[in-house]
Amino acid sequence: MDTPSTLLKSTILSFVIFWSVILTEKEIPLDAIPYMFLSLIPIFLCCMFTICLTVAPFYWSKNEKTAFKTIYNNCFPFYAIALFGVCSLVLITSNFEMSIVAFTASAFFTLLKSWTWIIKPSKTELNEAL
Amino acid sequence: MKQISLIIGALVFSTLFHKQSIGLNLSVFSLVAIIVLLIHNTKAFRQKTTIAHALLYALTAISIFLYNNTLAIVANAMAFVTLVGQVSTQNSSIYVNWLNGLYSFIAGFFHRNFHIHEASQKVEPKIKIDYLHLTKLIGIPLVVLVIFIALYKNGNPMFSNLINGIDFSFINLQWVLVALSGYYLFYNISKPVTVNPATSKDLQIGNSLFLKAHFENEYLKKENQLGFVLITALNFLIVLFLITDVSYLINSVNSSAPELSCQVHNGINALIASIVIAIIIILYFFRGDLNFYNNNKNLRLVAYTWMLLNAVLVINIIIKDILYIYNFGLTYKRIGVLVYLLLTVIGLTTTFIKVKHLKNLWYLFRINTISAFTILIVSCALNWDSLITKYNLNYAKSMDFNYLIELSNNNTFMLKNYLDENDLDMEKALAIEQKYKTYVMTLQDNSWQESQFDTYRIK
Repeated sequence: MDTPSTLLKSTILSFVIFWSVILTEKEIPLDAIPYMFLSLIPIFLCCMFTICLTVAPFYWSKNEKTAFKTIYNNCFPFYAIALFGVCSLVLITSNFEMSIVAFTASAFFTLLKSWTWIIKPSKTELNEAL
Repeated sequence: MKQISLIIGALVFSTLFHKQSIGLNLSVFSLVAIIVLLIHNTKAFRQKTTIAHALLYALTAISIFLYNNTLAIVANAMAFVTLVGQVSTQNSSIYVNWLNGLYSFIAGFFHRNFHIHEASQKVEPKIKIDYLHLTKLIGIPLVVLVIFIALYKNGNPMFSNLINGIDFSFINLQWVLVALSGYYLFYNISKPVTVNPATSKDLQIGNSLFLKAHFENEYLKKENQLGFVLITALNFLIVLFLITDVSYLINSVNSSAPELSCQVHNGINALIASIVIAIIIILYFFRGDLNFYNNNKNLRLVAYTWMLLNAVLVINIIIKDILYIYNFGLTYKRIGVLVYLLLTVIGLTTTFIKVKHLKNLWYLFRINTISAFTILIVSCALNWDSLITKYNLNYAKSMDFNYLIELSNNNTFMLKNYLDENDLDMEKALAIEQKYKTYVMTLQDNSWQESQFDTYRIK
Protein backbone atom coordinates (compact mmCIF):
# COMPACT_ATOMS: atom_id res chain seq x y z
CA MET A 1 0.00 0.00 0.00
CA ASP A 2 1.45 3.31 -1.05
CA THR A 3 0.09 5.37 1.87
CA PRO A 4 1.47 8.84 1.01
CA SER A 5 0.33 8.60 -2.59
CA THR A 6 -3.14 7.36 -1.56
CA LEU A 7 -3.52 10.11 1.03
CA LEU A 8 -2.39 12.73 -1.47
CA LYS A 9 -4.82 11.56 -4.13
CA SER A 10 -7.63 11.31 -1.58
CA THR A 11 -6.97 14.82 -0.29
CA ILE A 12 -7.03 16.25 -3.81
CA LEU A 13 -10.21 14.38 -4.73
CA SER A 14 -11.93 15.47 -1.51
CA PHE A 15 -10.82 19.05 -1.99
CA VAL A 16 -12.12 19.16 -5.56
CA ILE A 17 -15.50 17.61 -4.68
CA PHE A 18 -15.97 19.71 -1.55
CA TRP A 19 -15.26 23.04 -3.19
CA SER A 20 -17.10 22.13 -6.41
CA VAL A 21 -20.26 21.67 -4.37
CA ILE A 22 -19.68 24.79 -2.26
CA LEU A 23 -18.91 26.98 -5.28
CA THR A 24 -22.16 26.03 -6.97
CA GLU A 25 -24.05 27.66 -4.10
CA LYS A 26 -21.86 30.54 -2.95
CA GLU A 27 -19.77 32.99 -4.89
CA ILE A 28 -16.33 33.33 -3.39
CA PRO A 29 -14.36 36.52 -4.12
CA LEU A 30 -11.10 36.07 -5.99
CA ASP A 31 -9.10 37.37 -3.00
CA ALA A 32 -10.42 34.52 -0.87
CA ILE A 33 -9.28 31.80 -3.24
CA PRO A 34 -5.76 31.45 -1.72
CA TYR A 35 -7.39 30.91 1.69
CA MET A 36 -9.46 28.15 0.17
CA PHE A 37 -6.29 26.13 -0.16
CA LEU A 38 -5.83 26.30 3.60
CA SER A 39 -8.72 23.84 3.79
CA LEU A 40 -6.32 21.26 2.36
CA ILE A 41 -4.91 20.80 5.88
CA PRO A 42 -8.15 19.71 7.62
CA ILE A 43 -9.17 17.76 4.53
CA PHE A 44 -5.85 15.92 4.62
CA LEU A 45 -6.30 15.14 8.32
CA CYS A 46 -9.85 13.90 7.78
CA CYS A 47 -8.71 11.71 4.88
CA MET A 48 -5.79 10.35 6.87
CA PHE A 49 -7.93 9.38 9.87
CA THR A 50 -10.86 7.92 7.98
CA ILE A 51 -8.77 5.99 5.46
CA CYS A 52 -6.34 4.66 8.07
CA LEU A 53 -9.16 3.71 10.42
CA THR A 54 -11.78 2.38 8.02
CA VAL A 55 -10.18 1.30 4.73
CA ALA A 56 -6.55 0.40 5.46
CA PRO A 57 -7.42 -2.35 8.01
CA PHE A 58 -8.96 -4.32 5.13
CA TYR A 59 -5.65 -4.08 3.27
CA TRP A 60 -3.71 -5.10 6.37
CA SER A 61 -6.05 -8.05 6.98
CA LYS A 62 -4.69 -9.75 3.86
CA ASN A 63 -2.74 -12.92 4.52
CA GLU A 64 -1.35 -15.67 2.33
CA LYS A 65 -4.71 -17.40 2.02
CA THR A 66 -6.83 -14.43 0.98
CA ALA A 67 -6.47 -12.43 -2.19
CA PHE A 68 -7.28 -8.74 -2.42
CA LYS A 69 -10.11 -9.59 -4.76
CA THR A 70 -11.69 -11.79 -2.07
CA ILE A 71 -11.34 -9.07 0.55
CA TYR A 72 -12.88 -6.60 -1.86
CA ASN A 73 -15.78 -8.90 -2.77
CA ASN A 74 -16.53 -9.79 0.83
CA CYS A 75 -16.16 -6.40 2.46
CA PHE A 76 -16.55 -3.57 -0.05
CA PRO A 77 -20.32 -3.99 -0.73
CA PHE A 78 -21.17 -3.84 2.97
CA TYR A 79 -18.72 -1.01 3.56
CA ALA A 80 -20.34 0.96 0.69
CA ILE A 81 -23.86 0.31 1.99
CA ALA A 82 -22.91 1.26 5.58
CA LEU A 83 -21.15 4.40 4.36
CA PHE A 84 -24.18 5.35 2.29
CA GLY A 85 -26.40 4.84 5.34
CA VAL A 86 -24.22 7.03 7.56
CA CYS A 87 -23.95 9.77 4.90
CA SER A 88 -27.72 9.71 4.30
CA LEU A 89 -28.39 9.95 8.02
CA VAL A 90 -26.05 12.93 8.37
CA LEU A 91 -27.66 14.62 5.35
CA ILE A 92 -31.19 14.12 6.63
CA THR A 93 -30.42 15.30 10.16
CA SER A 94 -28.67 18.40 8.77
CA ASN A 95 -31.73 19.11 6.58
CA PHE A 96 -29.51 19.09 3.47
CA GLU A 97 -27.41 22.07 4.49
CA MET A 98 -24.99 22.87 1.67
CA SER A 99 -21.74 22.58 3.65
CA ILE A 100 -22.85 19.19 5.00
CA VAL A 101 -23.86 18.06 1.49
CA ALA A 102 -20.37 19.04 0.28
CA PHE A 103 -18.70 17.25 3.19
CA THR A 104 -20.68 14.01 2.88
CA ALA A 105 -20.39 13.93 -0.93
CA SER A 106 -16.61 14.32 -0.74
CA ALA A 107 -16.34 11.76 2.08
CA PHE A 108 -18.54 9.25 0.23
CA PHE A 109 -16.76 9.37 -3.12
CA THR A 110 -13.24 9.67 -1.69
CA LEU A 111 -13.63 6.71 0.65
CA LEU A 112 -15.08 4.50 -2.08
CA LYS A 113 -12.37 5.53 -4.52
CA SER A 114 -9.66 5.00 -1.90
CA TRP A 115 -10.60 1.30 -1.85
CA THR A 116 -9.59 1.08 -5.47
CA TRP A 117 -6.34 2.95 -4.84
CA ILE A 118 -5.46 0.78 -1.87
CA ILE A 119 -6.69 -2.66 -2.84
CA LYS A 120 -6.87 -2.81 -6.63
CA PRO A 121 -3.65 -4.29 -8.02
CA SER A 122 -1.94 -1.91 -10.42
CA LYS A 123 -1.25 -2.93 -14.01
CA THR A 124 2.45 -2.96 -13.21
CA GLU A 125 1.90 -5.38 -10.31
CA LEU A 126 -0.23 -7.59 -12.51
CA ASN A 127 2.38 -7.70 -15.23
CA GLU A 128 5.13 -8.44 -12.72
CA ALA A 129 3.04 -11.23 -11.21
CA LEU A 130 2.75 -12.75 -14.66
CA MET B 1 -27.34 4.49 -28.07
CA LYS B 2 -26.63 3.14 -24.58
CA GLN B 3 -24.39 6.06 -23.66
CA ILE B 4 -26.94 8.51 -25.07
CA SER B 5 -29.66 7.00 -22.88
CA LEU B 6 -27.49 7.63 -19.81
CA ILE B 7 -26.82 11.24 -20.82
CA ILE B 8 -30.50 11.87 -21.52
CA GLY B 9 -31.33 10.22 -18.21
CA ALA B 10 -28.88 12.49 -16.40
CA LEU B 11 -30.34 15.63 -18.01
CA VAL B 12 -33.87 14.51 -17.20
CA PHE B 13 -32.78 13.73 -13.63
CA SER B 14 -31.47 17.25 -13.09
CA THR B 15 -34.54 18.81 -14.71
CA LEU B 16 -36.77 16.76 -12.44
CA PHE B 17 -35.02 17.08 -9.11
CA HIS B 18 -32.92 20.26 -9.02
CA LYS B 19 -34.43 22.40 -6.24
CA GLN B 20 -37.73 20.51 -6.36
CA SER B 21 -39.61 18.54 -3.76
CA ILE B 22 -41.24 15.18 -4.43
CA GLY B 23 -44.20 14.94 -6.79
CA LEU B 24 -44.63 14.07 -10.44
CA ASN B 25 -40.82 14.10 -10.78
CA LEU B 26 -40.38 10.84 -8.85
CA SER B 27 -43.04 9.17 -10.97
CA VAL B 28 -41.34 10.32 -14.20
CA PHE B 29 -37.94 9.29 -12.82
CA SER B 30 -39.30 5.79 -12.16
CA LEU B 31 -40.41 5.47 -15.79
CA VAL B 32 -37.04 6.78 -17.04
CA ALA B 33 -35.24 4.28 -14.76
CA ILE B 34 -37.30 1.43 -16.22
CA ILE B 35 -36.48 2.58 -19.77
CA VAL B 36 -32.74 2.85 -19.00
CA LEU B 37 -32.76 -0.60 -17.41
CA LEU B 38 -34.66 -1.99 -20.39
CA ILE B 39 -32.23 -0.51 -22.94
CA HIS B 40 -29.19 -1.88 -21.13
CA ASN B 41 -30.61 -5.23 -20.03
CA THR B 42 -33.00 -6.44 -22.70
CA LYS B 43 -32.20 -10.07 -21.87
CA ALA B 44 -33.29 -9.69 -18.24
CA PHE B 45 -36.59 -8.15 -19.34
CA ARG B 46 -37.47 -11.30 -21.27
CA GLN B 47 -38.21 -12.93 -17.93
CA LYS B 48 -41.74 -12.60 -16.61
CA THR B 49 -40.55 -11.95 -13.04
CA THR B 50 -38.51 -8.93 -14.18
CA ILE B 51 -41.51 -7.56 -16.07
CA ALA B 52 -43.66 -8.11 -12.97
CA HIS B 53 -41.15 -6.21 -10.82
CA ALA B 54 -41.08 -3.39 -13.37
CA LEU B 55 -44.89 -3.23 -13.29
CA LEU B 56 -44.87 -3.11 -9.48
CA TYR B 57 -42.34 -0.30 -9.63
CA ALA B 58 -44.56 1.55 -12.12
CA LEU B 59 -47.54 1.00 -9.78
CA THR B 60 -45.67 2.70 -6.92
CA ALA B 61 -44.77 5.54 -9.31
CA ILE B 62 -48.47 6.04 -10.05
CA SER B 63 -49.22 5.94 -6.30
CA ILE B 64 -46.76 8.76 -5.71
CA PHE B 65 -48.50 10.86 -8.35
CA LEU B 66 -51.91 10.08 -6.87
CA TYR B 67 -51.22 10.34 -3.14
CA ASN B 68 -47.66 11.69 -2.66
CA ASN B 69 -47.35 10.24 0.84
CA THR B 70 -44.47 8.69 2.76
CA LEU B 71 -45.77 5.15 2.31
CA ALA B 72 -45.80 5.52 -1.49
CA ILE B 73 -42.28 6.98 -1.45
CA VAL B 74 -40.94 4.16 0.74
CA ALA B 75 -42.67 1.55 -1.45
CA ASN B 76 -41.26 3.22 -4.56
CA ALA B 77 -37.71 3.13 -3.16
CA MET B 78 -38.12 -0.53 -2.18
CA ALA B 79 -39.55 -1.44 -5.59
CA PHE B 80 -36.69 0.41 -7.31
CA VAL B 81 -34.02 -1.46 -5.35
CA THR B 82 -35.84 -4.76 -5.93
CA LEU B 83 -36.11 -4.19 -9.68
CA VAL B 84 -32.41 -3.29 -10.00
CA GLY B 85 -31.52 -6.38 -7.97
CA GLN B 86 -33.82 -8.52 -10.08
CA VAL B 87 -32.13 -7.27 -13.25
CA SER B 88 -28.70 -8.06 -11.78
CA THR B 89 -29.60 -11.68 -11.00
CA GLN B 90 -32.81 -13.41 -11.92
CA ASN B 91 -34.15 -16.25 -9.77
CA SER B 92 -32.46 -15.08 -6.58
CA SER B 93 -34.31 -14.44 -3.32
CA ILE B 94 -35.93 -11.07 -2.83
CA TYR B 95 -33.63 -10.11 0.05
CA VAL B 96 -30.63 -10.85 -2.18
CA ASN B 97 -32.29 -8.64 -4.80
CA TRP B 98 -32.45 -5.87 -2.20
CA LEU B 99 -28.78 -6.32 -1.39
CA ASN B 100 -27.75 -6.37 -5.06
CA GLY B 101 -30.04 -3.49 -5.97
CA LEU B 102 -28.85 -1.31 -3.13
CA TYR B 103 -25.21 -2.10 -3.83
CA SER B 104 -25.59 -1.44 -7.57
CA PHE B 105 -27.34 1.85 -6.91
CA ILE B 106 -24.69 2.98 -4.40
CA ALA B 107 -21.42 1.71 -5.81
CA GLY B 108 -21.94 -0.03 -9.16
CA PHE B 109 -19.40 2.28 -10.79
CA PHE B 110 -16.65 1.47 -8.29
CA HIS B 111 -17.40 -2.24 -8.42
CA ARG B 112 -17.11 -2.37 -12.19
CA ASN B 113 -14.00 -0.22 -12.02
CA PHE B 114 -12.36 -2.67 -9.63
CA HIS B 115 -13.25 -5.83 -11.47
CA ILE B 116 -10.75 -5.47 -14.26
CA HIS B 117 -10.51 -8.09 -16.95
CA GLU B 118 -7.26 -9.64 -15.97
CA ALA B 119 -6.92 -11.47 -19.29
CA SER B 120 -6.94 -8.23 -21.23
CA GLN B 121 -4.56 -6.60 -18.76
CA LYS B 122 -1.84 -9.03 -19.76
CA VAL B 123 -1.50 -7.62 -23.21
CA GLU B 124 -1.96 -4.00 -22.27
CA PRO B 125 1.25 -2.01 -22.24
CA LYS B 126 2.24 -0.36 -19.01
CA ILE B 127 0.68 3.07 -18.97
CA LYS B 128 2.63 5.50 -16.88
CA ILE B 129 0.98 8.88 -16.66
CA ASP B 130 3.45 11.74 -16.50
CA TYR B 131 1.57 13.92 -14.03
CA LEU B 132 4.28 16.61 -14.00
CA HIS B 133 4.09 17.02 -17.74
CA LEU B 134 0.30 17.05 -17.60
CA THR B 135 0.37 19.79 -14.96
CA LYS B 136 2.79 21.81 -17.08
CA LEU B 137 0.66 21.26 -20.17
CA ILE B 138 -2.43 22.70 -18.52
CA GLY B 139 -1.03 25.00 -15.84
CA ILE B 140 1.65 26.98 -17.68
CA PRO B 141 -0.48 28.01 -20.70
CA LEU B 142 -3.33 28.87 -18.33
CA VAL B 143 -1.20 31.15 -16.13
CA VAL B 144 0.48 32.80 -19.13
CA LEU B 145 -2.87 33.34 -20.84
CA VAL B 146 -4.32 35.00 -17.72
CA ILE B 147 -1.30 37.34 -17.45
CA PHE B 148 -1.53 38.32 -21.13
CA ILE B 149 -5.29 38.87 -20.95
CA ALA B 150 -4.69 41.23 -18.00
CA LEU B 151 -2.01 43.07 -19.99
CA TYR B 152 -4.11 43.39 -23.17
CA LYS B 153 -7.10 44.55 -21.14
CA ASN B 154 -5.08 47.55 -20.00
CA GLY B 155 -3.80 48.22 -23.46
CA ASN B 156 -7.05 48.14 -25.42
CA PRO B 157 -10.44 49.34 -24.06
CA MET B 158 -12.36 47.44 -26.76
CA PHE B 159 -10.61 44.17 -25.82
CA SER B 160 -11.27 44.99 -22.19
CA ASN B 161 -15.00 45.43 -22.89
CA LEU B 162 -15.04 42.18 -24.82
CA ILE B 163 -13.45 40.26 -21.95
CA ASN B 164 -15.72 41.92 -19.37
CA GLY B 165 -18.73 41.08 -21.52
CA ILE B 166 -18.12 37.36 -21.20
CA ASP B 167 -20.86 36.09 -18.92
CA PHE B 168 -21.14 32.49 -17.85
CA SER B 169 -23.95 33.17 -15.42
CA PHE B 170 -26.40 31.29 -17.65
CA ILE B 171 -24.61 28.08 -16.66
CA ASN B 172 -26.11 26.81 -13.44
CA LEU B 173 -23.29 24.82 -11.89
CA GLN B 174 -25.55 23.28 -9.31
CA TRP B 175 -27.84 22.02 -12.04
CA VAL B 176 -24.80 20.50 -13.76
CA LEU B 177 -23.72 18.86 -10.50
CA VAL B 178 -27.19 17.33 -10.04
CA ALA B 179 -27.01 16.09 -13.64
CA LEU B 180 -23.64 14.48 -12.87
CA SER B 181 -25.21 12.76 -9.85
CA GLY B 182 -27.98 11.56 -12.16
CA TYR B 183 -25.41 10.23 -14.60
CA TYR B 184 -23.63 8.40 -11.76
CA LEU B 185 -26.94 6.89 -10.65
CA PHE B 186 -28.00 5.78 -14.12
CA TYR B 187 -24.50 4.48 -14.90
CA ASN B 188 -24.64 2.43 -11.68
CA ILE B 189 -27.99 0.86 -12.41
CA SER B 190 -27.50 0.44 -16.16
CA LYS B 191 -25.45 -2.70 -15.57
CA PRO B 192 -26.40 -3.87 -12.08
CA VAL B 193 -23.72 -5.75 -10.18
CA THR B 194 -23.98 -8.60 -7.71
CA VAL B 195 -22.70 -9.10 -4.20
CA ASN B 196 -20.80 -12.34 -4.06
CA PRO B 197 -20.62 -14.89 -2.51
CA ALA B 198 -24.08 -13.96 -1.11
CA THR B 199 -25.75 -14.20 -4.54
CA SER B 200 -24.03 -17.37 -5.71
CA LYS B 201 -24.76 -19.13 -2.41
CA ASP B 202 -28.38 -18.04 -2.53
CA LEU B 203 -28.73 -19.46 -6.05
CA GLN B 204 -27.25 -22.76 -4.89
CA ILE B 205 -29.54 -23.20 -1.89
CA GLY B 206 -32.95 -24.63 -2.66
CA ASN B 207 -36.10 -24.63 -0.55
CA SER B 208 -36.22 -28.26 0.53
CA LEU B 209 -34.66 -30.24 3.34
CA PHE B 210 -32.70 -33.36 2.50
CA LEU B 211 -32.02 -36.45 4.54
CA LYS B 212 -28.43 -36.83 5.71
CA ALA B 213 -26.66 -40.09 5.01
CA HIS B 214 -26.32 -40.97 8.70
CA PHE B 215 -28.51 -40.00 11.56
CA GLU B 216 -28.71 -41.31 15.10
CA ASN B 217 -32.09 -42.82 15.93
CA GLU B 218 -31.51 -42.70 19.68
CA TYR B 219 -30.68 -38.99 19.65
CA LEU B 220 -33.70 -38.21 17.47
CA LYS B 221 -35.95 -40.21 19.77
CA LYS B 222 -34.88 -38.06 22.75
CA GLU B 223 -35.30 -34.87 20.80
CA ASN B 224 -38.71 -36.00 19.61
CA GLN B 225 -39.78 -36.65 23.22
CA LEU B 226 -38.48 -33.28 24.39
CA GLY B 227 -40.27 -31.49 21.54
CA PHE B 228 -43.52 -33.31 22.18
CA VAL B 229 -43.53 -32.54 25.93
CA LEU B 230 -42.57 -28.91 25.44
CA ILE B 231 -45.07 -28.11 22.68
CA THR B 232 -47.87 -30.03 24.41
CA ALA B 233 -47.30 -28.02 27.59
CA LEU B 234 -47.34 -24.83 25.56
CA ASN B 235 -50.59 -25.94 23.92
CA PHE B 236 -52.25 -26.30 27.32
CA LEU B 237 -50.96 -22.89 28.33
CA ILE B 238 -52.26 -21.14 25.23
CA VAL B 239 -55.66 -22.86 25.58
CA LEU B 240 -55.91 -21.56 29.14
CA PHE B 241 -54.90 -18.09 27.98
CA LEU B 242 -57.50 -18.14 25.19
CA ILE B 243 -60.31 -19.29 27.50
CA THR B 244 -59.63 -16.50 30.00
CA ASP B 245 -59.19 -13.95 27.22
CA VAL B 246 -62.44 -14.87 25.42
CA SER B 247 -64.44 -14.85 28.68
CA TYR B 248 -62.98 -11.41 29.46
CA LEU B 249 -63.93 -10.22 25.98
CA ILE B 250 -67.51 -11.45 26.37
CA ASN B 251 -67.90 -9.87 29.81
CA SER B 252 -66.55 -6.47 28.78
CA VAL B 253 -68.36 -5.55 25.57
CA ASN B 254 -68.88 -1.90 26.50
CA SER B 255 -65.28 -1.09 27.32
CA SER B 256 -63.94 2.44 27.22
CA ALA B 257 -61.40 3.51 24.60
CA PRO B 258 -58.39 3.33 26.95
CA GLU B 259 -59.45 -0.14 28.14
CA LEU B 260 -59.88 -1.47 24.60
CA SER B 261 -56.62 0.17 23.56
CA CYS B 262 -54.84 -1.46 26.50
CA GLN B 263 -56.35 -4.85 25.63
CA VAL B 264 -55.41 -4.65 21.96
CA HIS B 265 -51.85 -3.53 22.69
CA ASN B 266 -51.32 -6.08 25.46
CA GLY B 267 -52.78 -8.73 23.19
CA ILE B 268 -50.42 -7.70 20.42
CA ASN B 269 -47.43 -7.88 22.76
CA ALA B 270 -48.47 -11.34 23.90
CA LEU B 271 -49.04 -12.34 20.30
CA ILE B 272 -45.63 -11.08 19.17
CA ALA B 273 -43.87 -13.03 21.91
CA SER B 274 -46.02 -16.09 21.37
CA ILE B 275 -45.62 -16.24 17.59
CA VAL B 276 -41.87 -15.52 17.62
CA ILE B 277 -41.25 -18.19 20.27
CA ALA B 278 -43.60 -20.60 18.50
CA ILE B 279 -41.77 -20.24 15.20
CA ILE B 280 -38.31 -20.45 16.85
CA ILE B 281 -39.23 -23.60 18.75
CA ILE B 282 -40.80 -25.21 15.69
CA LEU B 283 -37.81 -24.28 13.56
CA TYR B 284 -35.46 -25.69 16.17
CA PHE B 285 -37.16 -29.09 16.33
CA PHE B 286 -37.85 -29.28 12.60
CA ARG B 287 -34.45 -27.98 11.53
CA GLY B 288 -33.07 -31.25 10.17
CA ASP B 289 -33.26 -34.98 10.64
CA LEU B 290 -36.29 -34.96 12.94
CA ASN B 291 -38.36 -34.19 9.83
CA PHE B 292 -37.45 -37.65 8.51
CA TYR B 293 -37.84 -39.50 11.81
CA ASN B 294 -40.51 -42.19 11.48
CA ASN B 295 -42.15 -41.65 14.88
CA ASN B 296 -42.56 -37.89 14.67
CA LYS B 297 -46.31 -37.96 13.95
CA ASN B 298 -47.30 -36.88 17.47
CA LEU B 299 -44.77 -34.10 17.47
CA ARG B 300 -46.11 -32.87 14.15
CA LEU B 301 -49.65 -33.04 15.47
CA VAL B 302 -48.91 -30.92 18.56
CA ALA B 303 -46.93 -28.48 16.41
CA TYR B 304 -49.88 -28.08 14.02
CA THR B 305 -52.21 -27.67 17.00
CA TRP B 306 -50.00 -24.97 18.43
CA MET B 307 -49.97 -23.10 15.13
CA LEU B 308 -53.75 -23.40 14.97
CA LEU B 309 -54.12 -22.07 18.52
CA ASN B 310 -51.86 -19.16 17.65
CA ALA B 311 -54.16 -18.50 14.69
CA VAL B 312 -57.09 -18.47 17.13
CA LEU B 313 -55.13 -15.96 19.21
CA VAL B 314 -54.80 -13.84 16.06
CA ILE B 315 -58.57 -14.02 15.46
CA ASN B 316 -59.12 -12.97 19.07
CA ILE B 317 -56.97 -9.87 18.59
CA ILE B 318 -58.70 -9.12 15.25
CA ILE B 319 -62.07 -9.12 17.03
CA LYS B 320 -60.74 -6.74 19.68
CA ASP B 321 -59.22 -4.44 17.06
CA ILE B 322 -62.43 -4.42 14.99
CA LEU B 323 -64.45 -3.61 18.12
CA TYR B 324 -62.04 -0.83 18.87
CA ILE B 325 -62.31 0.52 15.30
CA TYR B 326 -66.11 0.25 15.29
CA ASN B 327 -66.41 2.18 18.53
CA PHE B 328 -63.68 4.77 18.17
CA GLY B 329 -62.88 4.97 14.46
CA LEU B 330 -59.96 4.06 12.21
CA THR B 331 -56.43 5.27 12.84
CA TYR B 332 -53.09 4.35 11.30
CA LYS B 333 -52.11 2.43 14.45
CA ARG B 334 -55.28 0.34 14.35
CA ILE B 335 -54.72 -0.41 10.65
CA GLY B 336 -51.09 -1.22 11.53
CA VAL B 337 -52.34 -3.83 14.00
CA LEU B 338 -54.43 -5.45 11.25
CA VAL B 339 -51.45 -5.45 8.87
CA TYR B 340 -49.31 -7.02 11.58
CA LEU B 341 -51.97 -9.69 12.17
CA LEU B 342 -52.09 -10.42 8.44
CA LEU B 343 -48.31 -10.87 8.43
CA THR B 344 -48.64 -13.15 11.44
CA VAL B 345 -51.19 -15.34 9.69
CA ILE B 346 -48.89 -15.55 6.67
CA GLY B 347 -45.96 -16.42 8.98
CA LEU B 348 -47.94 -19.21 10.65
CA THR B 349 -49.16 -20.57 7.31
CA THR B 350 -45.66 -20.68 5.85
CA THR B 351 -44.36 -22.36 9.02
CA PHE B 352 -47.11 -24.95 8.62
CA ILE B 353 -46.08 -25.51 4.97
CA LYS B 354 -42.44 -25.74 6.04
CA VAL B 355 -43.19 -28.53 8.51
CA LYS B 356 -45.64 -30.36 6.28
CA HIS B 357 -43.64 -30.27 3.05
CA LEU B 358 -40.13 -30.57 4.55
CA LYS B 359 -38.94 -27.09 3.61
CA ASN B 360 -35.83 -25.42 5.02
CA LEU B 361 -35.28 -22.16 6.86
CA TRP B 362 -34.44 -20.29 3.64
CA TYR B 363 -37.89 -21.12 2.29
CA LEU B 364 -39.40 -19.28 5.26
CA PHE B 365 -37.17 -16.24 4.75
CA ARG B 366 -37.90 -16.15 1.04
CA ILE B 367 -41.64 -16.56 1.16
CA ASN B 368 -42.15 -14.24 4.15
CA THR B 369 -40.03 -11.41 2.72
CA ILE B 370 -41.93 -11.68 -0.59
CA SER B 371 -45.21 -11.51 1.36
CA ALA B 372 -44.08 -8.44 3.31
CA PHE B 373 -42.92 -6.75 0.11
CA THR B 374 -46.22 -7.51 -1.66
CA ILE B 375 -48.22 -6.11 1.26
CA LEU B 376 -46.10 -2.95 1.18
CA ILE B 377 -46.68 -2.45 -2.55
CA VAL B 378 -50.40 -3.19 -2.36
CA SER B 379 -50.88 -0.93 0.66
CA CYS B 380 -49.19 2.00 -1.10
CA ALA B 381 -51.83 1.77 -3.84
CA LEU B 382 -54.58 2.70 -1.37
CA ASN B 383 -55.47 6.17 -0.19
CA TRP B 384 -55.44 5.41 3.53
CA ASP B 385 -56.17 8.96 4.65
CA SER B 386 -59.25 9.03 2.51
CA LEU B 387 -60.38 5.60 3.76
CA ILE B 388 -59.87 6.61 7.40
CA THR B 389 -61.78 9.84 6.88
CA LYS B 390 -64.64 8.18 5.02
CA TYR B 391 -65.04 5.47 7.66
CA ASN B 392 -64.75 7.79 10.65
CA LEU B 393 -67.19 10.35 9.26
CA ASN B 394 -69.82 7.84 8.14
CA TYR B 395 -69.57 4.66 10.20
CA ALA B 396 -67.64 5.08 13.46
CA LYS B 397 -69.71 5.43 16.64
CA SER B 398 -67.37 8.10 17.93
CA MET B 399 -64.08 9.55 16.72
CA ASP B 400 -61.43 12.20 17.21
CA PHE B 401 -62.13 14.96 14.64
CA ASN B 402 -58.74 16.62 15.17
CA TYR B 403 -57.09 13.39 14.09
CA LEU B 404 -58.72 13.78 10.67
CA ILE B 405 -57.45 17.35 10.40
CA GLU B 406 -53.93 16.22 11.31
CA LEU B 407 -53.86 13.55 8.59
CA SER B 408 -52.07 14.32 5.31
CA ASN B 409 -53.72 16.42 2.61
CA ASN B 410 -55.12 13.34 0.87
CA ASN B 411 -58.39 13.77 2.76
CA THR B 412 -58.73 17.53 2.26
CA PHE B 413 -61.25 17.46 -0.60
CA MET B 414 -63.30 14.82 1.19
CA LEU B 415 -63.43 16.96 4.34
CA LYS B 416 -64.36 20.00 2.27
CA ASN B 417 -67.22 18.11 0.61
CA TYR B 418 -68.35 16.91 4.02
CA LEU B 419 -68.37 20.50 5.26
CA ASP B 420 -70.37 21.65 2.24
CA GLU B 421 -72.97 18.92 2.71
CA ASN B 422 -73.28 19.04 6.52
CA ASP B 423 -73.79 21.61 9.22
CA LEU B 424 -70.66 21.53 11.36
CA ASP B 425 -69.86 23.62 14.39
CA MET B 426 -67.68 26.72 13.95
CA GLU B 427 -64.45 25.19 15.22
CA LYS B 428 -64.57 22.18 12.91
CA ALA B 429 -65.64 24.28 9.91
CA LEU B 430 -62.75 26.69 10.48
CA ALA B 431 -60.25 23.86 10.79
CA ILE B 432 -61.44 22.31 7.51
CA GLU B 433 -61.45 25.66 5.68
CA GLN B 434 -57.95 26.39 6.94
CA LYS B 435 -56.67 23.00 5.79
CA TYR B 436 -58.36 23.34 2.41
CA LYS B 437 -57.03 26.85 1.72
CA THR B 438 -53.47 25.97 2.73
CA TYR B 439 -53.55 22.86 0.55
CA VAL B 440 -54.94 24.66 -2.50
CA MET B 441 -52.29 27.38 -2.13
CA THR B 442 -49.54 24.75 -1.89
CA LEU B 443 -50.85 23.02 -5.01
CA GLN B 444 -51.00 26.29 -6.91
CA ASP B 445 -47.44 27.21 -5.90
CA ASN B 446 -46.01 23.85 -6.95
CA SER B 447 -43.94 23.62 -10.10
CA TRP B 448 -44.85 20.97 -12.69
CA GLN B 449 -42.17 18.70 -11.23
CA GLU B 450 -43.82 18.87 -7.81
CA SER B 451 -47.36 18.51 -9.11
CA GLN B 452 -49.63 15.62 -8.19
CA PHE B 453 -53.08 14.37 -9.14
CA ASP B 454 -54.82 16.95 -6.92
CA THR B 455 -53.06 19.79 -8.76
CA TYR B 456 -55.07 18.92 -11.86
CA ARG B 457 -58.28 18.52 -9.87
CA ILE B 458 -58.32 22.14 -8.76
CA LYS B 459 -57.76 23.51 -12.28
